[in-house]
Amino acid sequence: MENESHGMMWIFAGLNLIFLCCAGGLLFFLIFESYPIFKLQGFGFWLGQDWWVGEAYGALPMLYGSSLVTALACLLVLPLALAVAIFTSEFLTSTSRRCVKAVLELLAGVPGIVYGLLGVSFLSLWIKDVFGLLDGNTLATAGCLLAIMILPTVLTLSEDAMRAVPSEYRDNALGLGLSKWQVATAVVLPQAMPGIMGAVLLGIGRAMGETIAVMLVVGGLDRIPDPWFNIFSSAQTIPSKLGREAAESIGEATHWSALMALGLTLFIMVLLINFIGNRFLKRRSIS
Amino acid sequence: MSSTAFEKGMVVFLSILTLSVFSLLLIILATVFTKGLPALHWGFFIEASEDFGRAGGIFYQLVGTLILMAGAVLISLPVALGSVIYQTQYLKSETGKEICRQVAQMLNATPTILFGLVGYLFFGVYLETGVSWVTGSLILAVMILPTLQVSIREAIEALPDQYKDTGMALGLSPWSQIKTIIIPQCYYGIITGVFLGLARAAGETAAIMFAATTFSGIRLPESFSDPVPTLQTHMLVLTQEAANPETLAQAWGAGLVLLSLVFFLTVMAWILRSRLKMEAEL
Repeated sequence: MENESHGMMWIFAGLNLIFLCCAGGLLFFLIFESYPIFKLQGFGFWLGQDWWVGEAYGALPMLYGSSLVTALACLLVLPLALAVAIFTSEFLTSTSRRCVKAVLELLAGVPGIVYGLLGVSFLSLWIKDVFGLLDGNTLATAGCLLAIMILPTVLTLSEDAMRAVPSEYRDNALGLGLSKWQVATAVVLPQAMPGIMGAVLLGIGRAMGETIAVMLVVGGLDRIPDPWFNIFSSAQTIPSKLGREAAESIGEATHWSALMALGLTLFIMVLLINFIGNRFLKRRSIS
Repeated sequence: MSSTAFEKGMVVFLSILTLSVFSLLLIILATVFTKGLPALHWGFFIEASEDFGRAGGIFYQLVGTLILMAGAVLISLPVALGSVIYQTQYLKSETGKEICRQVAQMLNATPTILFGLVGYLFFGVYLETGVSWVTGSLILAVMILPTLQVSIREAIEALPDQYKDTGMALGLSPWSQIKTIIIPQCYYGIITGVFLGLARAAGETAAIMFAATTFSGIRLPESFSDPVPTLQTHMLVLTQEAANPETLAQAWGAGLVLLSLVFFLTVMAWILRSRLKMEAEL
């Protein structure tokens, strides 16, 4: 009996070790495989502007594309997240709020490839027509598509943040004679702000790593737009670069290593954003 | 103090904004349905795709997706269950628990394409599983690990302390407690996790597109080293050559099937969670 129990403990410990090894292995291989390119090019890898397979590998255009697309999605989502969170949390009845939440959580699971199909068949054509472009596959298209994609996740987390503010705050403020609008914007919103920021950051982390939808609408041009703020030009993000070139680079040592270094860069960026986002969310639950 | 005109105006403005956001999201859903429905007929589900996806059905793609999903959950479930049981029942150190939680969070946040790259390298090249459905299942298994863990952990942590106290007072060993208390009381968490994991695996494209799938040539895998066609990658290829209207119609049909599959699994997870949780609490 005692022995059996002891044996089972080791089995569970082993399974836990497998889980930890999955994460550790991921990080290890990303670093190990990208080592050759850093040895070859040093940190200039991040500053190089040209990506010619076999000659030079510069990550700057992809880094720039990823950052710009993500920033664009963030700019579009933030005001909407604020507005919708205030309204659903403070002005809707609890039944309709529950409906809204269920729909949002369901929509959060829509596969990226479905958004990709929508982007190709509608969004990129609209952007092409509305702005009179030659090609609808641009940074702006990718940014809009990502904004729509992360909207459900960000909205439901922001709403959670608003609801997490204790109801005594609302009652006290109402008792002091504040109107519902004043309660929502001057009492609840400041308290919920870190939580909403956390929600947006978690959404941004997801947007940054999205491959398929972005790959289909971003155009795939490895250069920084000219001028740099021209969001209506084709570009490339890190995941879209990986998705396009990974299959053909297998077996080509330097090329593969350069892609893995891009992957490592993406991994660090996403983890950083996520870490900050989680810090925000945690601060809310303590205060 | 009653609301001023400005405040009333702002509330109306917010309600319009909220309404438009929801209309947008619902219009997106409606679009997938209206675009996908014309492609759906009985034959679409039971025929093979023909003429490079322009005609025929998606039977083998659907089977491929189901194979990968099922493989992923079969591999992932024992690891998720075992690791959560270890963390909650055996691991005493708070630091150790916190590290495990952080690692799970990290794994959950990792961009899925990285699972594809590293998974292909580790499983496909080093363990020599090649481009095959086995590689795909292994990659997806790692990817859905945190999803399963969260559901199981929530169920175990929701268990009232008295259950554990009673078990200890009866002199049960940790393993007997797990066998007789934890698993019977928390199986709703396991089932919910399985469904959410299946849904997540079904919607994933980037992680498997170059490690597990093929567009044409193979229908059903005949050995462990065969790739499979899947709905996701089928859609990807059709979308990339989107110039042709018949091809696009097929892509929309496949999209609708995929979306329905994901929604069905998610809703099942919710229903089972609330139903079984009530039963467990009785």
